[in-house]
Amino acid sequence: MAVQDVGRPAPVGSTARGGRKAPRARSASPAARGRSGFGMTAPFLVLFAGFFVAPIVYSIVLSLRSPATGAYAGLLNYRTVLSDGAFWSGVQRMAYFGVVQVSVMIGLAIVLALFLDSPYCRGRKFFALVYFLPYAVPGVIAAIMWGFLLEPDLDSALRIPRILGITGSTVNPLDFRLALYAIMLIVTWEFTGYNMTILLTSLTNVPRQVLEAAKIDGCSELSIAARIKLPLIRRTVVFIVILSIIGTLQLFNEPMILNDIANIGSSYTPNQMIYNTAFSFGNEQLAAAQSVVLAVITVVATVAFYTIVRRRIDPFAASKEGA
Amino acid sequence: MSALPAVRRRGARSPGSGRRSSRVKTTIGTAALLVAAVYVIAPIYWLVVASSKSTSQLFATSTFLPPVHLSWGANFRSLFSFGSGEFKYWLANSFVYAIVTATLATAVSTLCGYGLAKYRFRFRKTIFGLVVGSLMVPATALVVPLFLLEHDVGLINSYQGVILPMLVYPFGVYFMSIFAADAVPDTLVDASRIDGAGELRIFWQIARPILMPGMVTLFLLSFIGTWNNYFLPLVLLGDTTKFPLTVGLSTWASDLNQAGVSQPLYPEVLLGSLVSVLPMLVLFPFLQKYVARGLTFGAIAGE
Repeated sequence: MAVQDVGRPAPVGSTARGGRKAPRARSASPAARGRSGFGMTAPFLVLFAGFFVAPIVYSIVLSLRSPATGAYAGLLNYRTVLSDGAFWSGVQRMAYFGVVQVSVMIGLAIVLALFLDSPYCRGRKFFALVYFLPYAVPGVIAAIMWGFLLEPDLDSALRIPRILGITGSTVNPLDFRLALYAIMLIVTWEFTGYNMTILLTSLTNVPRQVLEAAKIDGCSELSIAARIKLPLIRRTVVFIVILSIIGTLQLFNEPMILNDIANIGSSYTPNQMIYNTAFSFGNEQLAAAQSVVLAVITVVATVAFYTIVRRRIDPFAASKEGA
Repeated sequence: MSALPAVRRRGARSPGSGRRSSRVKTTIGTAALLVAAVYVIAPIYWLVVASSKSTSQLFATSTFLPPVHLSWGANFRSLFSFGSGEFKYWLANSFVYAIVTATLATAVSTLCGYGLAKYRFRFRKTIFGLVVGSLMVPATALVVPLFLLEHDVGLINSYQGVILPMLVYPFGVYFMSIFAADAVPDTLVDASRIDGAGELRIFWQIARPILMPGMVTLFLLSFIGTWNNYFLPLVLLGDTTKFPLTVGLSTWASDLNQAGVSQPLYPEVLLGSLVSVLPMLVLFPFLQKYVARGLTFGAIAGE
């Protein structure tokens, strides 16, 4: 085995003081070297086992125990979750939220990215920076800011429709019915620029020759954007949609803070409900079961979306996108 | 064939008119971008203005206009003195959590990513598969399970309890393994071995300087993620002096809603929010490049 190592010093010549020294072979054998490599992954693996795998396993075990006695109870908690109307209306609310908000946000991100990538924009760097800024704002602070801005007592602008006689009373965007749209507004504010940043980088990787060729053929900027750029970044679009679906089902910070400010309800989203099951009602076993069900729903939603769009992105993947 | 007439028509147009129409388009395009920029900036601008008002001014003056008398001084004093000065603990804690987590998470992820990229050993593919698989698991899904586990081993309500779970950073490992595979040439590693360097010394003296730009990206992503984190510390901490800014400010915000609980803390919540976003907003123009590189990495690797 060592022979192989001695036989390989061809690249030695590339370092100035190479060949002269005899291989001291402190880590000569590939097996020993492999152990060093494995050792380098060890700190991560230990933490991964303790703070990633263990909680998952533990919550599955806990979800099979009775909330009353702590004894093994089979699928009792799962039956409770499956028949719990409040939990499912939270999931349904997030499904609706996902369809509306994710479409609007991704659409907006695509339009902004294509605009910034077109010749019809001035101050590209400035806009790219401004749109990306909310990424540096914690969700909690974003929710506090918008929560106050959407509070009719604080925001005089919200009284304008009533003063003009458009609505009978002052519209309160934080009442139970409208709060969902308020959260959409906040989440769109937080993540449109994040998604746009990803798309913009992807757009800069579109080969310039393709765009030049299209221009010479008399293609307008609009059809270059719609027929060349957009199809070439469709995998990135799929990627950010998947991230957004996962994020929607896990929504927590914004409804939590809006509930603090305006009482929108403590089981508005599934994650908020899990939090309350565990900490307001102290039912850890049921909370564990709810966590597992939510994780399964998230995986199913992601895989379902990917399966639907895969057929559309794959047939051309090999020929058009290359490596 | 069908493109030909279009080209001719375009060619027939005088160059001046083309320039004019493109100038109109540029104006319209830039105007549209400005509208979107106003949506982004308005709440931040409002936060700056609102944090300068006293509670009575907040309800009496126009929403987006600054007050006649700025109350920043008074608000600042009250921000840091209210509740026996708990805000300064939160500010310090946020820095402690973010710096410690980002430093250690970067170290652990870099070492692991480099190990996966530059060595061949048993279970290497299994480990890589685990890392990629766990990218799909959202961090929030683990919060309540983590509480249940930490509760039973007595890690709850401690700094370690919050920091340790955030050191598991599968994206960091994935990012670094690809970064290291590209950036560190095998020939360089081999040459150092011939010179008699041990594997850890090769990592520290040869690879680490090359990996530095990637490490900066990971540090920033982890720092921002920790600074912004709310769910995990909310669940794991009970002692108010251990709260980070996000959790602390949310407790003040929830007091606003409960009638009869002391004074409403509007100015404190608003100025506290501004203080907690200002450092990052000021630094962001300089850090944008590094942060964007990390975010776009997953998407581009999939292309």
